[in-house]
Amino acid sequence: MAKAVDVRSVVAQGLSGLLPGTLIMLVAGGFFVGMEKYFTTILPGLIMAVPPLLGLRGNINGALASRLGTGLNSGLIRPRLELSAEIKINLVSSLILSVIASATIGAFAFGINVLTGAPTIGVLELIVIAVLAGFISGLILAFLTVLVAITSYARGWDPDNVTSPAMAAIGDFVTIVCIYLAVLLVV
Amino acid sequence: MALYSVKQIVLQSCPVLIFCIVVALAAGHILSSSIQEIAELPLILAMVLLINGIGGNIGSILGARLTSALHLGTLEPRLRGQRVLRGNVAASVLISIIIFSLIGVALFAIACLSGISITSSLSLALAFFIAGMALSAAVMFVTIASAFVSFRGGLDPDNMVIPIVTAIGDVLGVTFLLMAIKIVGM
Repeated sequence: MAKAVDVRSVVAQGLSGLLPGTLIMLVAGGFFVGMEKYFTTILPGLIMAVPPLLGLRGNINGALASRLGTGLNSGLIRPRLELSAEIKINLVSSLILSVIASATIGAFAFGINVLTGAPTIGVLELIVIAVLAGFISGLILAFLTVLVAITSYARGWDPDNVTSPAMAAIGDFVTIVCIYLAVLLVV
Repeated sequence: MALYSVKQIVLQSCPVLIFCIVVALAAGHILSSSIQEIAELPLILAMVLLINGIGGNIGSILGARLTSALHLGTLEPRLRGQRVLRGNVAASVLISIIIFSLIGVALFAIACLSGISITSSLSLALAFFIAGMALSAAVMFVTIASAFVSFRGGLDPDNMVIPIVTAIGDVLGVTFLLMAIKIVGM
């Protein structure tokens, strides 16, 4: 017999992750709005790479968070802050994926800009910005994901409800800041 | 005993990632072709971030809960008679209504403060709420479909659902938002 879901507790736990996340997203939004000139005039074509780069966080860290949640909930992963083999494998995989994916994003973004005749910066510039932003944010976020998943489980919260929303919110913020850093390094 | 392997995670994630990148590039293209509107109303950038972020979160919470339930066996991958599914969907709808209303109010305040007229600010907030609710309905549908299909196909839904949901959510989020802004009128 499947147990019924306690809707109230799902909503309460979900919102407790989402609300602080939303505040962080508002700050990230402010940062993003502040970069408007880079997208509209200084680095044309760069905006093409932004949604996929932001999406990477959901893809890579969301999947990492989801695996950790399942691992913790089913007892495969011990709820302790240690670099166990399981956690190391999860971390290394997400970093490898970050680099492969960011490079692909830079190259594809350039390709589509050229195909659609949109004004664009060079292919190398785009790839370098994407890989820098993707790798730095991936490194920061992978470690944070492990930290959040394990601490929330240790505190008796369901990591499935807490980790992904928390990381998605921080993820956008960290990614936007890393794109900005990468842009400053390249320009 | 190796419970996870780098090779397995990377190989299983790669096709999904590439798919997601291609889909998200569509969102990028929509933004890139709306660059004129963004230059006139940079607030759109913040709204894009918010709607995609929240849409992704709603799908991620639902996706993570469904995948754990599928692994634990409390949920079977079909629609009829699944109390766990019904409860989770109800919770997701409630969360969407609460969060998109709150952000709508916050956006209204921010728009007013940044010197946009009250009627336009109201339109913007309304557009955001409508687009948000449309997005969460779409995201829930995609989440359930991808969780069930990947689980039935023998793939670990943990590696599949969230990437697919966030990518499709990003495109639909940008699309719904720009459409809603056009419909409500600025």
